Amino acid sequence: MKKVRISVNGTWHEWIAEPKTALLDLLREDLRLTGAKQSCDRKGQCGACMVIVNKKAVRACLARIADLDGAEVITVEGLGTPENPHLIQEAFVLSGAIQCGFCTPGMIMATKALLDSNADPTEEEIIKALRGNLCRCTGYTKIIEAVQLAGRFLRGELSPDSLRPLPDQGGLGVSHPRPSALAKACGTAHFTADFRLQGALELAVLRSALPHARIVSIDATTAAAMPGVAGVMTAADIKGTNTLKYLVADRPVLCRDTVRYIGDPILAVAATTRAQAEAALAAVKVELEPLPVLDSPEASLAPGAAQLHPDFPNLCFNQPQVKGNAQEALRSSAAVIEAKFKTQINHQAPLEPEATIAYWEKSEDAEEEDKLVIIGRSINIHFHLAMLQAALGWENMKYVEAYSGGQFGIKIDVISEGIAGAAALHFRRSVRYIPSLAESMQMTSKRHSFALDVKLAADKEGKLTAYCNDFVVDKGAYYSIGHVVVHRALLMLSGSYNIPNVDARGRLVYTNNPWGSAARGAGPPQANFALECAMDMLAEKMGIDPLEFRLRNSLKAGQSKSTGRTVTEWPFPELLEALRPHYLRAVQEAAPFRQGKIRRGVGLAAGAFGIGGPGDVSVASVELDDDGGISIYAAAADPGEGNDSMLSQLTAEFMGLSMERIRLHTRDTDNTAASGPAAGSRITYMIGNALIDALRQLKAAMQEARAKTGAELEAAGKSRRYLGRKKNEDAGPLDTQTGQGPSFESQVHAVQLAELEVDTETGKVRVLKMTTAVDAGPVINPQNLTGQLEGGMDMGVGFALREEYVAGKTKDWVTFKFPSIKEHFQMETIIRETPRPKGPLGVTGIGEMCMVPTAPAVINAINNAAGVWICDLPATPDKVKAALARKE
Amino acid sequence: MTGSSAADLQPVVRIIGQRQIVFDNEGFLNDFSDWTEELCIMLAGECGLAELVEKHWRVIRFLREFYAGHGRAPLNSQLKKGTGMSLLELETVFPGGIKNGARRLAGLPNPKTCS
Repeated sequence: MKKVRISVNGTWHEWIAEPKTALLDLLREDLRLTGAKQSCDRKGQCGACMVIVNKKAVRACLARIADLDGAEVITVEGLGTPENPHLIQEAFVLSGAIQCGFCTPGMIMATKALLDSNADPTEEEIIKALRGNLCRCTGYTKIIEAVQLAGRFLRGELSPDSLRPLPDQGGLGVSHPRPSALAKACGTAHFTADFRLQGALELAVLRSALPHARIVSIDATTAAAMPGVAGVMTAADIKGTNTLKYLVADRPVLCRDTVRYIGDPILAVAATTRAQAEAALAAVKVELEPLPVLDSPEASLAPGAAQLHPDFPNLCFNQPQVKGNAQEALRSSAAVIEAKFKTQINHQAPLEPEATIAYWEKSEDAEEEDKLVIIGRSINIHFHLAMLQAALGWENMKYVEAYSGGQFGIKIDVISEGIAGAAALHFRRSVRYIPSLAESMQMTSKRHSFALDVKLAADKEGKLTAYCNDFVVDKGAYYSIGHVVVHRALLMLSGSYNIPNVDARGRLVYTNNPWGSAARGAGPPQANFALECAMDMLAEKMGIDPLEFRLRNSLKAGQSKSTGRTVTEWPFPELLEALRPHYLRAVQEAAPFRQGKIRRGVGLAAGAFGIGGPGDVSVASVELDDDGGISIYAAAADPGEGNDSMLSQLTAEFMGLSMERIRLHTRDTDNTAASGPAAGSRITYMIGNALIDALRQLKAAMQEARAKTGAELEAAGKSRRYLGRKKNEDAGPLDTQTGQGPSFESQVHAVQLAELEVDTETGKVRVLKMTTAVDAGPVINPQNLTGQLEGGMDMGVGFALREEYVAGKTKDWVTFKFPSIKEHFQMETIIRETPRPKGPLGVTGIGEMCMVPTAPAVINAINNAAGVWICDLPATPDKVKAALARKE
Repeated sequence: MTGSSAADLQPVVRIIGQRQIVFDNEGFLNDFSDWTEELCIMLAGECGLAELVEKHWRVIRFLREFYAGHGRAPLNSQLKKGTGMSLLELETVFPGGIKNGARRLAGLPNPKTCS
């Protein structure tokens, strides 16, 4: 032990502690300063814990207290509060640099250290200063802008008041700060691990290191007797179904007799401290008998392959899609290309680990059991609550969504909540399950790997005639949203184009790989990658300019998608025209760099992303308060996209109300309408529409009663509360034989332009600039929209060039190749605002479209630069180099 | 599960009284507003409840009224208070209990999944 004296935010503290104690633990555990976050397993990879020590930015997870005696530490809490924020905190809020907010405190502290020593840094200096801070949401553009703005504030050139929109400035088209932004900037927003939970047990979970095995025996005798251990929980201790049924009952909370992927949970140890739980876990003896490993869809579909789940075949879903006669059209077409594409298994990579806490609320009713409360990262609290009630066999529960450090689809399903809830029930205690990053990466769903066999044909005028796409999806070990991914790929299969003949098939195959589920776009990013590369291949073969080829083949109102559904609007050609000058400029600028070692390329790709799926229904409830303000009750999760802004600003616009008088209730199953998942880019379109419907009823009641407050409405004999609904007109399944049938009600359109350099010796690709033209209807919040676009492009480039999850090998942000600010590239956005007649105030969504065209634009640009096709993502330097070698 | 045998995962469209009504794969209405008393009586008959008596209607009406304002099912404490019935009685009076019986007959949709 060592005695140290450290000043934290101006107050001196004395500790007698282990010298190796990390400053981060001292801050979070002893002082309850939870602004500094933990993401990277204390490896110094992410910067989420950045604080200032003796005027320098320091990663608190790497700083040991033995080295800090006499040090002066400043955390984000020491800068300012939501009531009295620091100018840097204001700059991050007003720049729109805060989305999920998990990285924000660390970013702000790195910024402070920079600006304290350099009042007017260049962009290069900002990038250098923030090179240790990771962000998954923003693509870093707005963070760089925030640092520049903070510099202007601090130099006295500008004041926050001169930039901050007034609360009554209007709802649409105004970059009002997100309702949660200041709390995130000041470190007062509580993410799950930030809650103090008195007397809680800490959990550690044993997970399979084998991809497929039989559990022969478990001996936890020694572990159960170790210091601090409350007990060991296995599947036998779970009273409910022990099955987390999303669509199919195949995924256990804890495995009973078989493990099916690397990371499948076997048992949990509960102890007073996490260290005690981990020590006991190491003492548990589990005997696993390896079973044959189905490591690919081919292996699972091979004759004689073992069946992974007793109740379901390995080929767990198969959906054809047939429109017209593609085979005949292929035979009579002027040009046909054939290609095989493959995409990787990928992690969605939210910065926050998969934390859950659970505690008990005493029931005041003798007839009713106590209430089990789950706090976690759900984006569908009502559905997840129902899943947990069945799995755990406990009815009186509620789910509260904490602030969430990004999710990008990963939280469509229950992850760590099942084990935390089961342990709280088994031990009848509060529990904290705060897994490491490595464990979080193992346990979560992933983006599915797709293998796509494609043919695309056109007539001599360059009009598309036929498209064949036979794709196989590696489902991994568990179904989760399963066929929804295949459906979505088929519903959007023909992308932006009019393709009269389609012959496609999507197959979903169980394997012993990580289980796939939602990941920004969920199916279309993979399928659209193949289509958009095939478009360039065919354009190249026919000698037609890629932009011209896309324009010539755009779908038009009255024509039909691959599902056979005709569309009534298709504002895509206008987007291509808006991008045309940028495209021509890029082609011209790349022209001098067509030879030599470093070659420049330009690539285009488009997308038409469906929103508001067949049969989708949503609800939202509003109430007129006694001061004339409006409370909104809707479970519309906001893990960073800006849904809080959307709800507030639509309400402000429709009701003519100041932003300050709108109150959001969105996170608790006990007081929210069950509005459905924050997935499929549906929140703005579906919940926004339900909200407008509710407000319309409220407005009518207020006008009729001449009431301005809830009390006045009630005095007039009217309700103060109204439920709004949005129901899509198209409903029902696709035809199982033809894949024809209902489709999305709305589309968001985009086209992206990639400009990059290929090093022909190393195969390394450097993206110089991405430009996106997008039409999502009237813009609600310009900063939020461009923030989504920039973050999406950054994620799309990572998907195209670097990222991959390899089970057993990808364990942290370095092995994942998380995009850092060093890979930051220039971005530009072009916005068109064609109103959507059925959208809320004409609006539709954007959250996923922003990365759908990115990977094919990048791959098309690589081909444009170097004359090689990389059809197997990610396009790593090795693959590019090998393709160049093959070419020569 | 091939294309045809995956049908049990899909919504079910039924033609009832010349109306096309969408149910989820657990037999819950997809849309709260599709409910009618006639439909409720028909669904009750299908699950073995030959006659709906006053206490059934009391529960069903409370559930619908609550959902019409809040967009979710009531908590058990709210259901008890709203109907004047004990939990035990509420659980036993409907085949399938409160969750799979009363809520289904009252036309309350299941929480939405991803589609």
